[in-house]
Amino acid sequence: MAFAIEFFIRRLSQGLLIVLLVAFVIFTLLRIAPGDPIRIILGPMATATAMEETARELGLRDPIPVQFGRFIVQVASGDFGHSFIRGKQGGASGGSQDGAPDLSQRASVMDLILTALPYTLILASLGLIFAFLIAIPIGLAAGLNAGRWQQKLGLYISSFFVSLPNIWVGVVLIYLLSAKSGLLPAIGYRGIAYAIIPAIVMAIEMSPILIRAIAVSIAANVQEGYFNVGQVRGIPRSKMIYRHVVRNAAVPLLNVFSAQMIGMLLGGLFVVEYIFSFPGIGLLTINAVFQRDFPIIQAVAILASAVLVLINILVDFASTTIDRRLKF
Amino acid sequence: MKTTRRQFLAGTAAVGVAGAIGVPSLFSQAFAQASNTLIFAAAGTVTGSWDPSSHTVAPQITAEGFLFGRLTHCPMTPENPGEILPDLAVSWSQIDEFTLEYKLREGVTFHDGKPFTARDVKATYEYASDPSRPASAWYPGRVDVEVVDDLTVRLSTKAHGYPALNFWYVSSFLPILCADDVANPDTLKQRPNGTGPFKYVSTTGDQIAFQAFDGYHGGKPAIENLIWAYVPDANTRVLGLMNGQYHLTERLEPEQYVSLSKEAGIKTDRSLSSENKYLHFRCNKPPFDDVRVRLAAFHSIDRDQVLAIVGEAGQASNCHLSPVKFGFTDVEGYPEYNPEKAQALLAEAGYPNGQGLPEIEYITSVGFYPKTREYGELISAMLQEQGFPVKLTTLEPAAWEEQLYRRADGQGPGHIVDVGWITGSPEPDLVLRPNYHSQFALINGINDPEIDASLDKERNAPNTEERLKILQTETLPLIAAKAPSISLFSSVFLRAMSNKVDGVTFLPNGPIDLRKATIS
Amino acid sequence: MTDIPLSARPRSRSVAHRILAGAWATTEMKVAFFIFAALAVLTVVAPFVIDASATKITVADRFLPPIFMEGGRYPYLLGTDQLGRDLLLRSLIGLRNAFAIGIVSVVIMFVIGCAIGIYSGYRGGWVDVVLMRITDVQMSIPVVILAITILGMSRPNAFTVIAVLVLASWPAYARVARSVTLAERQKEYVRAAKILGASDLRIMALHIAPSILPSIAFVAVLDIARMMIFEAIFGFIGIGIQPPTPTFGTIISAGTQYLLNAWWITIVPGFLLALALTSLNLMGGVLERSRNLVLQGQL
Repeated sequence: MAFAIEFFIRRLSQGLLIVLLVAFVIFTLLRIAPGDPIRIILGPMATATAMEETARELGLRDPIPVQFGRFIVQVASGDFGHSFIRGKQGGASGGSQDGAPDLSQRASVMDLILTALPYTLILASLGLIFAFLIAIPIGLAAGLNAGRWQQKLGLYISSFFVSLPNIWVGVVLIYLLSAKSGLLPAIGYRGIAYAIIPAIVMAIEMSPILIRAIAVSIAANVQEGYFNVGQVRGIPRSKMIYRHVVRNAAVPLLNVFSAQMIGMLLGGLFVVEYIFSFPGIGLLTINAVFQRDFPIIQAVAILASAVLVLINILVDFASTTIDRRLKF
Repeated sequence: MKTTRRQFLAGTAAVGVAGAIGVPSLFSQAFAQASNTLIFAAAGTVTGSWDPSSHTVAPQITAEGFLFGRLTHCPMTPENPGEILPDLAVSWSQIDEFTLEYKLREGVTFHDGKPFTARDVKATYEYASDPSRPASAWYPGRVDVEVVDDLTVRLSTKAHGYPALNFWYVSSFLPILCADDVANPDTLKQRPNGTGPFKYVSTTGDQIAFQAFDGYHGGKPAIENLIWAYVPDANTRVLGLMNGQYHLTERLEPEQYVSLSKEAGIKTDRSLSSENKYLHFRCNKPPFDDVRVRLAAFHSIDRDQVLAIVGEAGQASNCHLSPVKFGFTDVEGYPEYNPEKAQALLAEAGYPNGQGLPEIEYITSVGFYPKTREYGELISAMLQEQGFPVKLTTLEPAAWEEQLYRRADGQGPGHIVDVGWITGSPEPDLVLRPNYHSQFALINGINDPEIDASLDKERNAPNTEERLKILQTETLPLIAAKAPSISLFSSVFLRAMSNKVDGVTFLPNGPIDLRKATIS
Repeated sequence: MTDIPLSARPRSRSVAHRILAGAWATTEMKVAFFIFAALAVLTVVAPFVIDASATKITVADRFLPPIFMEGGRYPYLLGTDQLGRDLLLRSLIGLRNAFAIGIVSVVIMFVIGCAIGIYSGYRGGWVDVVLMRITDVQMSIPVVILAITILGMSRPNAFTVIAVLVLASWPAYARVARSVTLAERQKEYVRAAKILGASDLRIMALHIAPSILPSIAFVAVLDIARMMIFEAIFGFIGIGIQPPTPTFGTIISAGTQYLLNAWWITIVPGFLLALALTSLNLMGGVLERSRNLVLQGQL
């Protein structure tokens, strides 16, 4: 218990520092990048004085560290501010050409994210389920049969899947499964069926890592002494695999799951949501980038890195506990 | 506020279709859809303010088409572009050079129940023509309105020094607001209150709900609920129409139009719009500050090929005005594709074969207008062939809009910009003055005393016949010869709708007339 | 150099050699290499052999299907796009561009990442702490978010695309290089060099780097493929290299509009890209396995 508390305090404080730095990097990047949000808020015909006035009112002309400090204080109280572009009801609205906008009339960033989050979670979990459905049988077979055709098959399939650009797979599946045959709906979201094709695309993207990780860690365990010892002792092979190999292999698998998978999952979600106009956080963010909607972008970036950091901590914690349990 | 069962149904339909919004709809496969509801998949959306004088945004003008009444109504058909029908005014006449008189319709009420009178016209026109209002560009100038009696108004331009006739057509484009709202601009912003066939109910995410107005002076529309769904992607709009999610959609790509024409259960509509597509030159910086270089570029572009690519979505026209605009004509001497001439002009300007020209940036948008990327690549290639070192920049509409207009310092980014210009009235000055008069020249920055003089001359013409003559024989040929911009072609609007929908009329500037429409 | 005992020198050349030899012994490597080499040759030769153009717009020849379908005709072997340009040539040029971007960005991120990683691992102390925290920060921003933030805000070109890819991916190399260096630092030959008075820079550049880099370099082949996919994604979203330069992303995204009428515009280039990437990934996979075997001393 003491270990756990110490572990979490240490790692969480490190993590907080990292997230703060990420926030600062993104915050600065957005403010030095070309493209003026004021012009989008006010519309193309706004006068220079009106633009300057609004910029000052929104605090966009203060030094960046000042803006950042103000922002962090806000975030600490759970407020990510208001969208520059979206109205209270969440819809994008065109640029007002009529004086300074009343930001309290705009949507709260947190609300926008919370509205989009369930869709992203559905897609992510469905994608992960599909990915495991693909990867577990192939990975297990490859790991248990090192040097045989199953291992080669694993290599071929993962090399092939990792070579398929998600944008292309997405479009091909829309063409085959939706436009041509009408089997499944594809664009937007009106029910869980709309998540199936995007989830398949995600699964194809993620499964190669899983296949490899499963195959490698299973193979490593099979080679280890205890496996043979167990078999010599008369424990059935299937039982050995089920009881020990799979469990031991779970540790390196968890590690893969942390860093690479979550990064990939997040990246994949963005692109896939964009292809399928799937109303999750990715689409929200890509639209925000095109609309220079700073508050949304920085909130998503900060939350994404926080998730990444947090999952890393949890995985590290989980793997140490599993490890200890495994010590005979 | 009392919620009727009908409103409640409209609400559920909105949430169900929204999909994008609201967790309750997350797992609902089937979604409630009140019968008599028409769902319109729109390519654009409204701004944050419902005040019509606060913007010049085309999609919101389309939305205002449902909500507001105007003094007159112009169907703008190519056969009879000058036709004016009554709306809130039943008759109109010219009293003298500086005065127009409108007799108003009796018994009209606003959506909030207030009666419509001359007072409302006065409040609206005097408020919206104030130069500090962002959309005052639509007004030919400031105007004073005299309330003769409850149902008679006189527009007077005497104090502002231009003929009142300029309102003849423009009055069909200016929405009439309620005087009480004008007195309190905050309510004006928050909700629209017009005399139009539909009234505003609510906004949920990217969906706006409207409801038929019981008290509409032309009779309550048969379509009870109207939902405006903002769907920014053309493919999504089409797929949604094909699977029954939407009933009506706009701004189709030509190929989509062709394949939807063959689709059972869907009918298509194709009509000439009041929009022309332009390539504006930035005329206040090199190399396009030289008219010879502009003309050389003009002569380098084979507009037949551009039209071949635009296909169904375009119609050839040799004029800086759309064929549904007053004053349109096949302009004599409109520059044609002629590489030899282009070379001669380039050489004359000191850039033989394009040598010495700076890199030229061509800025266009992708996603709103059909085929802009495709013909942008084509035009870049044609210009390059004549020696123009062109670089094409394609931008998402929001980013493009940011680059479009000249900045406070008078300069705009890039050298050539692709844009359409669309207004809901046959009035030509809604196109010509903002674009070619040095006082505005919003995009190209042309500053040419001859053009200014000619524009003032046609505006100040004593009568319509005289004005038409000046426009067709002087102003438009002059603009073609000075080439501050190239008018590439006239846009044809391609729309599609479900077979269940009948009786829809489309106006050439986007708005959709659903007064007589039905859905089964 | 001559004052270091020969036996203490890293057997870098032979490590690289053994990895390559081990990989080449497999059929997969040979097949993948052959496919890749064939594609590479095609991208260079095809524009001279095929009597069509990747950039010349021929409005009359728009939407021609591949030659094996009804309506297809020579010289458009795989059909034409929405502007009548030859799809095969466009795809091949797109492949060439994607490969160039992939290889340049991987080389740069490899050099930067490994230099920082070796330095950090060799020096240790606060330098190490600071550098590794920087990589922590970098790795906590998903690549796509970083890319759309930077590229979506400016006007992207080949240079900015490469810069973003490098910015997003160097930390992974720094991490690996650092951890290998930490182990390598303890080894006999490094200590020997140190005792003999070699400077730190010299040790890092001439001793550690040659012994650890080959094994990292072979795995970098996989990253070339990854970067090519990113390049395609950027193009698809519209934040990659701008048209008219053919890139996979822009060809595919422009083609999605015509999916119902002219599916080949989207499908054909994707096949070519997938083929190229599969061969690259297969080579990378085999090389990686061969490296692992070599490092485990089994080869």
